[in-house]
Amino acid sequence: MNFKKTVIPAMLSLGLMSALVGCGSNGGNEASPTSSPSPSVSSSASSSPTNASEGLKGKLEIQYFVGGYGDTWWKETISEFEKMNPDLEVVQHAGPKINEQMKTRWIEGNPPDVVYIDGDGTFTEKLLVQNEQLMDITDWIATAKNSDGEPIKDQLIGQPRSYDGVNYAIPLVFGVFGTWYDKALFQKNGWEVPKDWAGFLELNQKAMDAGIIPYIHQGQYPSYIIRGLLNSGFVTENNGDPAILKDINALKEGVFKSAPVMGMLSKLTEMNGKGYINKAALALNHTDSQNQWLQHKAIFIPCGLWLENEMKKTMPEGFDYGFIPSVTQAQGGKFVAVPYTNEIGIAKEAKNVDAAKAFLQFVFTKKAAIRWAETTGALMNLKVDLESTQASGAVKSAMSYLNSDNTIVASVDNEMDPTVAKAMDDATAALLGEKITKEEWADRMEKAAAAARK
Amino acid sequence: MIAERNKKLYSKGQYTWFLIVFIVPTFALFCLLTLYPMVRGVYTSFFDWTGTSSKMTFIGLDNYRKLFDDEIIPRTIQHDYFLVFWKVLLILLFATVFAVALTRLKLRESAFFRAVFFFPNMISVVVIGVLWRFIYNPNLGFLNSFLSLFTEKPVSIAWLGDSDLALAALVPPSVWAGIGFYMVLIMSGIMGISESLYESARIDGAGEWKQFTRLTIPLVWEQIKVSLLSIVMTTLNGSFLIVWLMTEGGPDNSTQVMGSYLYQVGFKQYQMGYATAIGVMILVLSLLTTVLLNRLLRRETHEW
Repeated sequence: MNFKKTVIPAMLSLGLMSALVGCGSNGGNEASPTSSPSPSVSSSASSSPTNASEGLKGKLEIQYFVGGYGDTWWKETISEFEKMNPDLEVVQHAGPKINEQMKTRWIEGNPPDVVYIDGDGTFTEKLLVQNEQLMDITDWIATAKNSDGEPIKDQLIGQPRSYDGVNYAIPLVFGVFGTWYDKALFQKNGWEVPKDWAGFLELNQKAMDAGIIPYIHQGQYPSYIIRGLLNSGFVTENNGDPAILKDINALKEGVFKSAPVMGMLSKLTEMNGKGYINKAALALNHTDSQNQWLQHKAIFIPCGLWLENEMKKTMPEGFDYGFIPSVTQAQGGKFVAVPYTNEIGIAKEAKNVDAAKAFLQFVFTKKAAIRWAETTGALMNLKVDLESTQASGAVKSAMSYLNSDNTIVASVDNEMDPTVAKAMDDATAALLGEKITKEEWADRMEKAAAAARK
Repeated sequence: MIAERNKKLYSKGQYTWFLIVFIVPTFALFCLLTLYPMVRGVYTSFFDWTGTSSKMTFIGLDNYRKLFDDEIIPRTIQHDYFLVFWKVLLILLFATVFAVALTRLKLRESAFFRAVFFFPNMISVVVIGVLWRFIYNPNLGFLNSFLSLFTEKPVSIAWLGDSDLALAALVPPSVWAGIGFYMVLIMSGIMGISESLYESARIDGAGEWKQFTRLTIPLVWEQIKVSLLSIVMTTLNGSFLIVWLMTEGGPDNSTQVMGSYLYQVGFKQYQMGYATAIGVMILVLSLLTTVLLNRLLRRETHEW
């Protein structure tokens, strides 16, 4: 399930980012800050043997959803691509309702060539794969080089998802979920940013003593607390091994009753039992709850990296976004970051495959990645040096975790079956409302998973 | 050809032509816009289909089997009829009382109140949803602030966030939004009753209450019956809107109605085949309910 809110947020262009984006899981930074990485595109294109962008002809249709990230980057990138290929006519299908508008074309088997997969959470890579509507790019992506002649795969932060060994799309947007707080508020109260579960609980208690119910979440959409708190918690409970998330998404039998899952649920019910989680949150949607957090009606909230952009209009003066990827680790344990992505792929029935591939090669370049960061304030899925650009506090603080050796970054995982994901939302809402126990939660999930495996 | 026929059977031909002109276009539109989607819906319900590709797999009655195995389905039906029951009861009660008050009691502000009560009908359901979400907001909402006046500690009930309260919390907005229209409908019935009937009732010694129960109610029974059927049908087919705007069926499906579940399954979980099976279920239940209600209400019609 694509995340509903990756889309809706009014992510207008934010500041620019700095911080080095490295592959967090290896802890390896992409060194050598090339402050102006703009090698002449056309000259490098000819040096790349796999580049097919020379002399492209015909029509290339691109479908892209326009949401929080806006369309500045798309328009700019496409117009440059057009300049490089004067004989190619690029047709853009874009807008906030584009997925609905293009639906009939996908149904009748006449899709656009390139598709950016984003939207209200109902237009997903998993769905397109299930429909057999995306082209198998396994062999191509293994060796493909970008327009600058660099191998694409090596430079991706999150690797393409694999469906029984087959890749159908490349993650274009990369972000992580976590817990957010206001740095200014913490400073004022002399609170320390929690490094582990004990510290987190302690801070919750301090807030309680100060008369604030510390933890609020986007209760009407329980997937926020699942992704922002539980998922990283499952990993920390699994001794930092992200394999548990793979098992969960693959609906492996018994996984919902396994020790890591039950362990995290114990932590959640402990928190809830102590009254740290705002009970009223279950009635709130994302905007309501995020606004209450901004007004210091709570000190913590789970969300993805888009939060700062989304809440730009209602942010109070002096608010300073801080981000922690996980709070559930034991003392001295590593942080865990659970990513999310939005992908770009080629339609199986694409009419201009050469041009489509060339476009992807053009997109996954350092230059495009920097422009993405500059125009959207979010992160493109390419290791690139953003240090010379100006950073926003939130992304900076997220990036410092991602680059740290002390953070485990889970892989870009396959999406869960949407029906089971909904069951998980429901069960989690019931657990947080104290209508069911964690054992009942597990029973429900095993049952839903069993039904989906059939 | 038609002209020829017209010559032969002037009056009959003209009559047939008249019928054709009125029936054929309507019937064609009915087939195109109602019958075809319905048949198509039933047809789709025999397939496994994501709703977004040309790939459809015939699976026979599997979607219907699933309907019986799905634990959420009985809850959605129950929730729908819960809403039907309370909406019928409260809307008819308030609508009738207001209608009588505004016609028989000869209030001077009658026109003003009529506009006030009808007002919710003129605003979009979307606005109603947003408005009532705000009323129910646990921290800033009007309802909790109002209740806090009478308690020492501020009230912070999450009306839409508690699975025991959420469904009941959907009744007031639905009733509030519905009263005006049915009130006007019943008022028109009351205004059609001849004043002489009331006069003779008064001479016979009937008080206001007697006049209401023995005269007004029986004579507007037709309007009440129509209102009742209309509330039932619009609730079964249209409760989706208010549910989706206010809770999206949550928390934990406690406000999920058949329509919202259809939407959830079809458009969020890509099981369009199963969703159409739910649609067929809604159709069957609506038909059964209407037939049953018609039977129940038939003999009750009065004529003086």
